[in-house]
Amino acid sequence: MRRIANVVRLQMINRQTFIWTPLIILVGATLLSVFVYAMIPVDTPKYGGAANAPLWYFLAIGIGAMTYTFPFSQALSITRREFFLGTMLTAVLASAFMGVLFLLGAGIEVATHGYGVNGYVFYLDWLWEAGPFGAFVVYFTLALGLFVLGFTGATIFKTWGLTVLTISWVVVALLLIGLVFLATRLGWWGGFWEGVMTLGALGLALWGLVVIAGLMGISFLAFRRATP
Amino acid sequence: MTAVIEVQDLTKTYKDKNALDRVTLSLEPGAIYGLLGRNGAGKTTLMSILTAQNFETSGTVRVFGEHPFENARVLNRTCFVRESQKYPDDATPRHAFAAARLFFPNWDQALADELIGEFQVPLKQRIKKLSRGQLSAVGVIIGLASRAEITFFDEPYLGLDAVARQIFYDRLLEDYAEHPRTVILSSHLIDEVANLIEKVIVIDDGRIILNEDTDAVRDRAVTVIGDAAKVDAWASGRDVLHRDALGNVASVTVLGRLSAAERAELADAGLDLAPVSLQQLVIRLSQKAGTPAETEEVR
Repeated sequence: MRRIANVVRLQMINRQTFIWTPLIILVGATLLSVFVYAMIPVDTPKYGGAANAPLWYFLAIGIGAMTYTFPFSQALSITRREFFLGTMLTAVLASAFMGVLFLLGAGIEVATHGYGVNGYVFYLDWLWEAGPFGAFVVYFTLALGLFVLGFTGATIFKTWGLTVLTISWVVVALLLIGLVFLATRLGWWGGFWEGVMTLGALGLALWGLVVIAGLMGISFLAFRRATP
Repeated sequence: MTAVIEVQDLTKTYKDKNALDRVTLSLEPGAIYGLLGRNGAGKTTLMSILTAQNFETSGTVRVFGEHPFENARVLNRTCFVRESQKYPDDATPRHAFAAARLFFPNWDQALADELIGEFQVPLKQRIKKLSRGQLSAVGVIIGLASRAEITFFDEPYLGLDAVARQIFYDRLLEDYAEHPRTVILSSHLIDEVANLIEKVIVIDDGRIILNEDTDAVRDRAVTVIGDAAKVDAWASGRDVLHRDALGNVASVTVLGRLSAAERAELADAGLDLAPVSLQQLVIRLSQKAGTPAETEEVR
């Protein structure tokens, strides 16, 4: 357990990666949005998707954790299991940190009436239907999901090579297209959107966590045979 | 003494190439081993498998009596920094040493600090911006300061200048004398490490072709120096490994041990005996082992 905690410390040793860079991206994207909002001459509330900017960075740190930090962890004689658990724990903590930032941002928006220009990046109606907890879970899940996606992709690449990685993507794409095809043929779309609306953002995020758990399982299996 | 590393019939196959071919080895604790061989001979693959960084295709691997894969009890006591070691993106040497300190139970921070000064490692510069020599120094410092019971050094001298190399060799011997452990030093520059290593393992094309005490290996041949005509006359009919000449002085290395009578005979003829170059010997022994004798060069 101590060694797993040490892997978290290893991942956090350069605080730039998990804390400062996402924070800078988030603040930067928000500022840009505020300036843009200030230029739009309407009185109704203005909404934007700038908050997703740092999430994509989580895809990159997921890949980096596998391609750079994993080989280093091998030089430090860390077992693969310890590294995997410690890294996932780090991702959970960093994603929770992002969730808290999201709540703080929304708090600022509410308090300042949309930065004084009635513009919103965090306080988006649909995400906040289930209250602060719901909004937190949604943002947390997106960050964690992208990290795990990056990590899993990089692991499959390192363990089995580019061909298998490409085939995996093709298979996933085919499955999705197949579902779309079925839904169109069988006329499921009405029910689908109804379902999405009933689930709400929180419900979708919770299903997202189930998918993430599955991805983690796949990546652990691939990771056990990975070589630096 | 019981062996710290025991390997039997270890084979590693990449697609259709055998990187390691039925390797059988046993390493005793408390010695400095030289793992010698050409580039691509299988040195790094062997060390990777011993530290569970890579996987064997077949054969048995025992380190401290157990298989190292996912085995913290074993891995805790070993350290293997690769020649092409990767570090976290944007990490600095300071980060790397702080991380190493977290995981090696015998880590000696005072030693690490001294070595950082001696190798002049820039602590705050990003590792990916370091020169090849500075990068090697980071690996060397982690290896030495880890004080792991089994420490592997993978071509540690790459890019280091003559002064830094000497620092490494001196500090390794010094620290090894105070804290005996098993050191495996991989190298393709044999003479460079010849004075450091107590045991020689030569690997060629995935096969172990020599595993002996360095002194025993040296005893397998002699170098005779003196008047060229006399030396050549003495050497004729013998298995000559190497011949050098300068003016009318020649130096000839021949395979085989000398009897006391032969030594006396040499002394009477006014010929001198000199230490044998391990490199010449290893090259020749490799060729004798049936490997293609395409070049004289091991480098």
